Amino acid sequence: MSSAVVDQHNPGPVQTPFGIDPSSPIGSVIRIQGVNMVYPGRDGHETHALREVNLDIRQGEFISLLGPSGCGKTTLLRIIADLLEPTSGEVLVFGVTPRQARMNRQFGIVFQSPVLYEWRTVRNNIRLPLEIMKVPKAEQEDRIDQQLDLVGLTKFANRYPHQLSGGMQQRVGIARALAMKPALLLMDEPFSASDEFTREKLNEDLLRIWKISQKTVVFVTHNISEAVYLSDRVVVMSPHPGRVSSVIDVDLPRPRSQESPEFFSLYTRIRRGFEGVYHQP
Amino acid sequence: MKTNLWGVGLVWLVAVALAWEWGAHLLAVEFHDPMAGSKLPYLHAVVSTMVENSGVLFEAAEVTFTQAAIGFAMGGLIGYVLAILMSVSRTVERIAFPYLIVSQMIPVLGLAPIVFNLVRDMNASRMVIAAYITFFPVAANTLAGFKSVDDEKRTLMHSYAAGRTTTYLKLMMPFALPPLFAGLKIAAPLSVTASILVDMLGSKNGIGVKLLYALYGGNMDIFWASVVTSALLGVASYLAVLGAEKLVVPWETASGPGDGR
Amino acid sequence: MTDRLKNFLWPLGFGAAFLGVWQMGWFHALLGLAPFQLPVPTEIVESLTLHLAKTLDDCAVTVSGALAGLVLGSALGFLAAVVATMFPKWGYGGLIVISALNAVPIVALSPIMNRWFSTGMEQKIGVVTVVTMAAMAINAYRGLTSLRPFSLDLMKSYAAPGSAVFFQLRLPNSLPGVFTALKINITSAMIAAIVSEYFAASTSGLGFGIKDNLRKAEMAMGWAYITVASVAGVILFLVIALIEKRVLRWHTSQTRG
Repeated sequence: MSSAVVDQHNPGPVQTPFGIDPSSPIGSVIRIQGVNMVYPGRDGHETHALREVNLDIRQGEFISLLGPSGCGKTTLLRIIADLLEPTSGEVLVFGVTPRQARMNRQFGIVFQSPVLYEWRTVRNNIRLPLEIMKVPKAEQEDRIDQQLDLVGLTKFANRYPHQLSGGMQQRVGIARALAMKPALLLMDEPFSASDEFTREKLNEDLLRIWKISQKTVVFVTHNISEAVYLSDRVVVMSPHPGRVSSVIDVDLPRPRSQESPEFFSLYTRIRRGFEGVYHQP
Repeated sequence: MKTNLWGVGLVWLVAVALAWEWGAHLLAVEFHDPMAGSKLPYLHAVVSTMVENSGVLFEAAEVTFTQAAIGFAMGGLIGYVLAILMSVSRTVERIAFPYLIVSQMIPVLGLAPIVFNLVRDMNASRMVIAAYITFFPVAANTLAGFKSVDDEKRTLMHSYAAGRTTTYLKLMMPFALPPLFAGLKIAAPLSVTASILVDMLGSKNGIGVKLLYALYGGNMDIFWASVVTSALLGVASYLAVLGAEKLVVPWETASGPGDGR
Repeated sequence: MTDRLKNFLWPLGFGAAFLGVWQMGWFHALLGLAPFQLPVPTEIVESLTLHLAKTLDDCAVTVSGALAGLVLGSALGFLAAVVATMFPKWGYGGLIVISALNAVPIVALSPIMNRWFSTGMEQKIGVVTVVTMAAMAINAYRGLTSLRPFSLDLMKSYAAPGSAVFFQLRLPNSLPGVFTALKINITSAMIAAIVSEYFAASTSGLGFGIKDNLRKAEMAMGWAYITVASVAGVILFLVIALIEKRVLRWHTSQTRG
């Protein structure tokens, strides 16, 4: 319920809620202020998908939105991506509105399911955004080759989606988003459909890619250990109404071991925060 | 499994041929049916007649087929454009949809003589009717295809800030190719039928004319030969579309064949 | 509410405009037609009301033939689909044979039926039966065999007898497809019946009416007959659609907007 008024002209020490860092407003890639998302219900009961969300996301960081279903994490991501419009509040992406950022193709988005076009080969699926962005032909090929190599699917370039496994299809989806060379990557539970073993491998691949490209990544998940493994910060969200409960810094050096005591204590701390969530009305 | 299908098809073909011969035999020899020759002649007799007259039959079939093909192509094009218009404009859809349905109720084959009276030209009539028969399945199926694009694919396009034209070219149109071909497969044999009917209205050439003349002239051999030829034309048109489909739509759609066998 | 109203008014308006343009002779001007070649709507209505009784009689003849053939053909088609389901390996080939029968143009079927049967009605029913078998066979087969994953396994786990699997699972699953086929078939049946009447020994029916009137250059009556045939087709289609709505209340195609 706390929405701090950030004094633009005198950003001195102010009482701020978690997340907003007044000392580096310029370094923030995404600024979310006072965002609410309310859906009118059927019998007069409104649904608060998001209530008073404030968040600053810094350049080059890997941040997760973590929580159970109904906490609004996907809603928030979609608002950032201009796929939804908030009921109130302001969002700035690279200093412009989400709509502007989308028109400028400044971010790439990866969905829960691969959303590949069946009639295009793997290569041409990756090519899709480049065609739309009118990238010159020669450069298209370069980028595609690069991404195929990065996700390890060079041998499958000319296959059709139905010939690939689910995990491989998802990797194509990631390659496609990366081919746009966006500074920002938005990912909506991209690995939740994969089994544990595939997911771990995909997580490692993702970190590797992130290290090389130094992008800002906003990653939505409901898996606590995945969030702790991947992120610099974890935004813990809870439902009814959807809101940010806490933002946790994950200071562990990478590569992180899921077996280390530090990992475990962070995991437990977050997990305990969720206890009681399911017993709420 | 695929090779099996060919084997099964072959067996069935042979079985049907045998049944035909047997049926003809029954009629002629067992039942002493005086009309046996015209009710169900021996298959081998029909085949030999066909072979004997292959030149003439082929020529006639060609006329009918090519005219049907032209009408089919025209109707397909009109239907496709109409589907796009209906997809883009809700108003156009509102206006066109009921008439689309009703147009199928109008007995087109009953319309043939009227069209001929209006158009007065054999070839043009064939094309008009074939086009008429084709445009509905194509329009209806393509429109259904456009409407069934899954939201996520649309959202992807939206996230690329793709304009409407781009979305149509890169998403809707490729997506609707499988249902389009389903419509074409229905329309192809129908176009052939339409063309044959127009033949019969007083054309100089075409397989329908052969059929009619043979009928009135009491020449049952040629009659049956023409019937089989027309049937083959229908099947050929279907196979032609099937072949084109294999080339144009080499991918499998998300919803594969249901196999609760 | 306004949306539904729009759905109604736009086509209605367009239709009225179309008829108006026709009446005023614009199509004649456009296509270079003389009045006797293309009668205007009022003439058609006039002729129809003059000969209403006979037209309706003919309509009844055609429709009864079409319906009889429709029932027979659909029943046979369904039977074929059932047999194909029970003997999967060979059954599918049988269906292909039936589809091939579908490729025989109606116009060729009619003279054949003329040889087999002596009365116009029988010939008509014969043609309609052959024409309607394929659509029903294919759609019913698809409905009987495209079961949702695991539903067969579920039945197996109950050690359900074959008849139960058929009546409780396959049959209800096939109903939507059956109705789709019926809707397609009603149109085909009407067309087949009319075409059959063209070539048959009939002296009654809509097809005969069209042929006869055109022969006598009574254009208005010819058009009147076509109109009646179309209206009959639309009514029959709507009847089937209504029955479908009742029977398939549980199906998604009914609940979806």
